[in-house]
Amino acid sequence: MKNYKLLIPIVAFLLVSIFLYKGLYSDPTNIENANLAKPFPEFQLADLMDENRLYSKADLLGEYTLINVWGTWCVTCRVELPFMTQLRQQGVKIVGVYYDNAAEAAFGELDVRQTRREVTEMLAQLGNPFQFNIYDEKRDLSLDLGVTGAPESFLIDDKGTIIAHRRGAIDHRVWQNEFAPLLPNNHGSNLSEQQK
Amino acid sequence: MLPEIGHFSLLISLVFSVCLAIFPLIGAQKKIVEFVALAKPLVYANFTLLSVAFFCLSWAFYHNDFSVTYVAMNSNSDLPWYYRLSAVWGAHEGSLLLWVWILSLWTAGVAFFSSSLDDDDVARVLAVMGFIAIGFLAFVIFTSNPFERTFPMFPIDGRDLNPLLQDVGLIIHPPMLYMGYVGFSVAFAFAVAALIGGKLDATWARWSRPWTLSAWGFLTAGITLGSWWAYYELGWGGWWFWDPVENASFMPWLAGTALIHSLAVTEKRGAFKSWTVLLAISAFSLSLLGTFLVRSGILVSVHAFASDPTRGLFILVYLLIVIGGALTLYAWRADKVVSTHRYKLFSREVLLFVNNVLLVAALVVVLLGTLLPLVHKEIGLGSISIGAPFFDSVSSIWFIPFIIALSIGPFVRWKQDRFSRIKTKLFVGAVPAAIVAITCYLMLQINTFFSLLGVVLATWLAALVVYELITSGKKNPLPLSHWGMSLGHLGFAALVIGIAITKVASVDKSVRISPGQSVTVNNYEFKFTAVEQFEGPNYSAYHALFDVSNGSDSFSLKAEKRYYKMHSNVMTEAGIDPGLWRDIYISLGEQLDGDAWAVTANVKPFVRWIWLGGVLMVLGSIMCILDKRYRKILSWRAQRQPSEAGPVESVSANKVIEQKVKFE
Repeated sequence: MKNYKLLIPIVAFLLVSIFLYKGLYSDPTNIENANLAKPFPEFQLADLMDENRLYSKADLLGEYTLINVWGTWCVTCRVELPFMTQLRQQGVKIVGVYYDNAAEAAFGELDVRQTRREVTEMLAQLGNPFQFNIYDEKRDLSLDLGVTGAPESFLIDDKGTIIAHRRGAIDHRVWQNEFAPLLPNNHGSNLSEQQK
Repeated sequence: MLPEIGHFSLLISLVFSVCLAIFPLIGAQKKIVEFVALAKPLVYANFTLLSVAFFCLSWAFYHNDFSVTYVAMNSNSDLPWYYRLSAVWGAHEGSLLLWVWILSLWTAGVAFFSSSLDDDDVARVLAVMGFIAIGFLAFVIFTSNPFERTFPMFPIDGRDLNPLLQDVGLIIHPPMLYMGYVGFSVAFAFAVAALIGGKLDATWARWSRPWTLSAWGFLTAGITLGSWWAYYELGWGGWWFWDPVENASFMPWLAGTALIHSLAVTEKRGAFKSWTVLLAISAFSLSLLGTFLVRSGILVSVHAFASDPTRGLFILVYLLIVIGGALTLYAWRADKVVSTHRYKLFSREVLLFVNNVLLVAALVVVLLGTLLPLVHKEIGLGSISIGAPFFDSVSSIWFIPFIIALSIGPFVRWKQDRFSRIKTKLFVGAVPAAIVAITCYLMLQINTFFSLLGVVLATWLAALVVYELITSGKKNPLPLSHWGMSLGHLGFAALVIGIAITKVASVDKSVRISPGQSVTVNNYEFKFTAVEQFEGPNYSAYHALFDVSNGSDSFSLKAEKRYYKMHSNVMTEAGIDPGLWRDIYISLGEQLDGDAWAVTANVKPFVRWIWLGGVLMVLGSIMCILDKRYRKILSWRAQRQPSEAGPVESVSANKVIEQKVKFE
């Protein structure tokens, strides 16, 4: 065979297959975690809906809080929102960190009003689990947290220590196995399975 | 009893498929006439058996036979009869049965319409298709049997069909999509058969063109329907989400679009031979990859199907055999292909090549965007989700060169041309484009550079297509395929205009509103008149009634929220007033305290043009297939030429004209 170019398709396909094979057997959301038992980073950021309202780490302390990094552009987040809303109804405090994907992608300026519209619309459709949303405009907080994408969730205790971290959506099973046992009063453990 | 007959038919069909994959192929290679003659009877038998199996499953659904597990899981006696029938392909097992049945349908079609082809060539093609069938039949029988019984205890009533799927759009969307996916297997089989037989001339391209065009038409229809369905059923007014499952259908479409253009070059000019073979293999491979991605649950998606590693592994091994085998064959055989055809830099060949490169580039971007989350995770970087903004920003640059090449292409001659010859023609489109651009800017307040550019280029394209039709139609009557091509290109222009305008000019407002109150969006006043309770056959619902007016125009709309008892699932049905120039769209959100509701009201200009574009492309592909040059190819009456000369030399009337042009 003289023409090695013709081998490119088969080689590319075999490479992809290796990943497809590995993907089949890995839990899509399992990660080793460097964050656990570390304090939640300090920050000073505005509310997503109101740029005059500022939050800092102190606003997260005092009770166990679930921090959810998300965005309207993220498909998986859409799947997660209804379950998170159920959690909120069970009394879990959930705070959103809004990760805007548009800054790199769009050609113009970042349009906060457009983002707000999208957020309002999506939360109206799928349920609003958040007490409030922190707008991580420059992605500093996400960087400090080592966020690789959305959704990601961090559970912190009343003193602000990260006690659980998950990359990917939280569903009923994940919540039962990884998060609920860590909470002092085992919130959300009696949620019915409605994910299908 | 019937489910057992269905199951038994599947088993026999598997045996027949194995025979079909082996004997005709040996027969064609070793010149054993008896083996070759087996091919068509086996194909027809397979089609009959699978039709029986499909009928048995449909019967079980129609008669509420809940002793069949699959029926019990996906149907319910309250369900109207048409949803009971469409529930056949409402979940994994049944949709795979539909897949193999459609494959047997296409195979039977090839067998039926190929009397004027050489027997050995047909035998190879059918054998390849039989080989494809083996994998899917084994998959159905061993991992996803739809005929499994629930004995000894069977439920009184079923679990009901997923409410999302209880919709007219979803009755026809999957069969259309599968007709497209599986239809590419014909081009694949022709290409692989050509590689096996070592006959890599333009013949296989000519034979597979009508098949590829029809598969592409079905796929386009399927994608358009899916987009339209998502728009009115999911309740957030979007029409494309770059969701992995959508990407899985978009990738074969891109490859297929490249393929129908590249086939034209290979057939008419004998160029791009090896490239066309690769595209034919890719289009079907991507269909299979799409099936794998959807059915293995490997990617997280809003479509969220059941995830099962065994099933995924089965399909992966099958992919390795079919795709890996075809690509290995390609690497081994395609280096014998020499394209002797020469062409200059400014020629239709080159413009079609640019079109192909751009389509493949788009394909690679979508493929990477879809698979990157997977790769990213597997090399230890953690999970990520690549969202619509990524794809949107890439495609907003991509369309510029694409649409320019598309506009100029039909004017340029094969082999070589001079730009000075066509440049005055190109200005013809500039006038309407400028008028439309100014109108859009003033009337619709479109002020984003990329949207305006989209509208301008698309109008330019449309004007040139019409101009080209008029000028070339003057000299001699145009063949249907020419009309088809123009219609397809007009469809693309409509699609671009729809996307460009609706992306920027849509206005929406999410409000908390009680009956009696009203909200104004973009000069339209939405008055919330009342909420009514309503009982459907298997759901209960709230109807929210609105009176909408903007002075000159007034009408009422009904947005709906349904609660499905069996699934304890809530669905929205948007209230839509459709129009060519704008859609008014209301979706009902949560019920808030008191009598207030969360409601989203949208005004979406030109959104319908997106699906109009899809419809035009489908009509275009139908016209191309109906062209009389294919009537000869697809004849079922044997008009066989002496097999030595074969169909290779049979030159259609069009071809003769083209060759005259060529030698001028």
